[in-house]
Amino acid sequence: MTSPSPSPSPILMLDRVSKRFAGHTAVDELSLSVPRGVIYGLLGPNGAGKTTTIRMIMDILEPDGGAVRVFGEPGGGRVHSERIGYLPEERGLYRKMRVLDVLVFLGEMKGIDRRRARQRAEGWLERLGLAQWRLRRVDELSKGMQQKVQFISTMLHDPDLMILDEPFSALDPVNAQVMKDTVLDLRSRGKTILFSTHIMEQAEKLCEQLCIIARGRKLVDGALGDIKRTHGGHHLVIGFDGSLGGAAQVFADKGLVSKVDNYGQYAELELASGADPQQILQRLVTSGARLSKFELQEASLNKIFIDLVGPEAVRA
Amino acid sequence: MRKIWAVIRREFVERVRSRWFWVSAFLGPLFFAAIIIIPLHFAGTGGTKAIVVVDGTTSGFGARVVDSLTQGRTFTIVARPVPHAGLLDSLAHEIGLNRLDGLLVLTDRTVETGAAEYRAANVSSFRDIDELRGVLGRLAVNARLERAGVDPATVGQAQIRIDLQTKKISGSATTGESSAQSFWLAYVMSIVLFIVIAVYGVNVMSSVLEEKTTRIVEVLVSSLRPFELMLGKVVGVGAVSIFQFAIWGLGGRLVLSQRAAFVGSLAPADVGQEAAFQLPPVPAATVAVFLAYFLGGFFLYSAMFAAVGAMSSNEQEARQAQQPVVFLLMIAYLSVFALANNPGSTYAVALSLVPFTSPIAMPVRWAAGSVSVTELVGSLALLVIGIAVVTWIAARIYRVGILMTGKRPNLRELVRWIKTA
Repeated sequence: MTSPSPSPSPILMLDRVSKRFAGHTAVDELSLSVPRGVIYGLLGPNGAGKTTTIRMIMDILEPDGGAVRVFGEPGGGRVHSERIGYLPEERGLYRKMRVLDVLVFLGEMKGIDRRRARQRAEGWLERLGLAQWRLRRVDELSKGMQQKVQFISTMLHDPDLMILDEPFSALDPVNAQVMKDTVLDLRSRGKTILFSTHIMEQAEKLCEQLCIIARGRKLVDGALGDIKRTHGGHHLVIGFDGSLGGAAQVFADKGLVSKVDNYGQYAELELASGADPQQILQRLVTSGARLSKFELQEASLNKIFIDLVGPEAVRA
Repeated sequence: MRKIWAVIRREFVERVRSRWFWVSAFLGPLFFAAIIIIPLHFAGTGGTKAIVVVDGTTSGFGARVVDSLTQGRTFTIVARPVPHAGLLDSLAHEIGLNRLDGLLVLTDRTVETGAAEYRAANVSSFRDIDELRGVLGRLAVNARLERAGVDPATVGQAQIRIDLQTKKISGSATTGESSAQSFWLAYVMSIVLFIVIAVYGVNVMSSVLEEKTTRIVEVLVSSLRPFELMLGKVVGVGAVSIFQFAIWGLGGRLVLSQRAAFVGSLAPADVGQEAAFQLPPVPAATVAVFLAYFLGGFFLYSAMFAAVGAMSSNEQEARQAQQPVVFLLMIAYLSVFALANNPGSTYAVALSLVPFTSPIAMPVRWAAGSVSVTELVGSLALLVIGIAVVTWIAARIYRVGILMTGKRPNLRELVRWIKTA
């Protein structure tokens, strides 16, 4: 048992993990550490190596170099499969099997015995409103219902660590909500959730900790707030009410503004380092501009992400 | 171990629950009976052939041939015309119109040199040709003996009909099995082995493919090692095939014990003929050899089929990729006549030792003639080694293949898959 120390050992650690495929390096000496009891985001554009990383954590792929440690012990998902839940990016179930049988089988794969798997599966089906479908074949269910069955299969053995690869992709809005609630519920019960996504808005709302990777390399990792503070810069949104006054000259002052996105009646500014927003406000007013909005904003994760990854990598 | 067990149980339960399984449990034997009996039936009893004997002999030889053929049951002699211009052409026309099955041309040279001619639409029936050759040969010898001054009565007495009884020697004990029965047993076993290994091998392949296309395999492989998963599948499907055999075996017992009733109800017209056909007694040792080689063949081939499933992305690709495996299995199956007719030949011995062909070749040789214990043990040992090597290679292809999507690998990529640690 782990001692209740203030900074417990990370639940998951990657130590310079690499994976090469014929012709390219998918993951390049990636190190990261996931603390217990957090929602952790693995972010990156398509092709960044997120799925490969997750597959190495899950022991589906063997790293060419480096080590994976889960629960402070060497070995990945297969060794600890009874304590890890895994939802792959591409989902599917045995189409011809009955719903309950699929769940019991997948529960057994995670190391719980048939009777318990059955009880828990029945409980979950009840909770997600699928009880009357339990003896139906999977291919008789709607796609949304199949997605729910798949969530259940991931959580059936009540794992301490959940690894979800693009959990929100291809979900209908109702199931996306179920997924989100489930993740938060797990978090409140002290579980750790690692999920990958390329949708920053989601990560921004859910993650406490995150790691951004591109082309197999880590760009930044840490707590969301810290990342925003160090990489966010200062972001100013200005709305005009008719008269622009001498705004153009103020925006052109490199000592105050490093970047402008000017829409005429609306502008987004990035402050030069050390610049005081109050000074900009003062100069705009004295130049005769009429303002309807003057707001200091933190950069969105999306903005940080694009700045770090570069527009060309996003397109890829 | 508990996880492998769960995989085995899933494969078994899901298959035995399917309609497909019970259809083949009940219709399988009928299907086998049909594909075994129908061709032999057509080859064996073609009914009587209506032929014309064109008699160009001057010694009365033609008349004796007609008498003799009429006594047999193979031919009906429609006419015995003397040759004249245009006769052969008009008769050939009749044959073309299917009003006549054939014509036999006899001349005085038949007795002198043994030359005769038989023209027919179908000259590949061994039974017809044997009958003609036998009758003509016997009568030609008689005619020549008589011409040399031997008393016709003496000739008649000198003739004896040989009834050659064949008994198979197994070890040093003469069994009650006749050569026909041995051949039958070998023939039936080869068909059953071929079809069941192929069908259940393809079952393993589709099961692998299903998990690959639905991506369930990712969840499974993150819970147990790919090799364990493959092993569980092969054993599970194998258990289904054994269960299928058990049903067939018990069903067969039941049918045989009630045979009189069945034959009576199914084929009342042919009762006389059917009753004469005895099913060969199948010795326990033969059953054991059959099952041992079935299991060996099944494990060997289903490992290959599993690899084929793993390297394909859809049913269509898999159907193409499985062809080399099926061809490999067919080599021994297509050699069944050679194996049964000459079980001691170098070719037969080679086939029964090489692991890819021995699962069919050895049981056939075993049934057709006796095989020494040394050979049997050697062949089984090679089969076990073959299974180990093939499974090792297949498992490596499987491990990489199940996670691959996109185009099927070429040979060089396969070799790289096998080499990757």
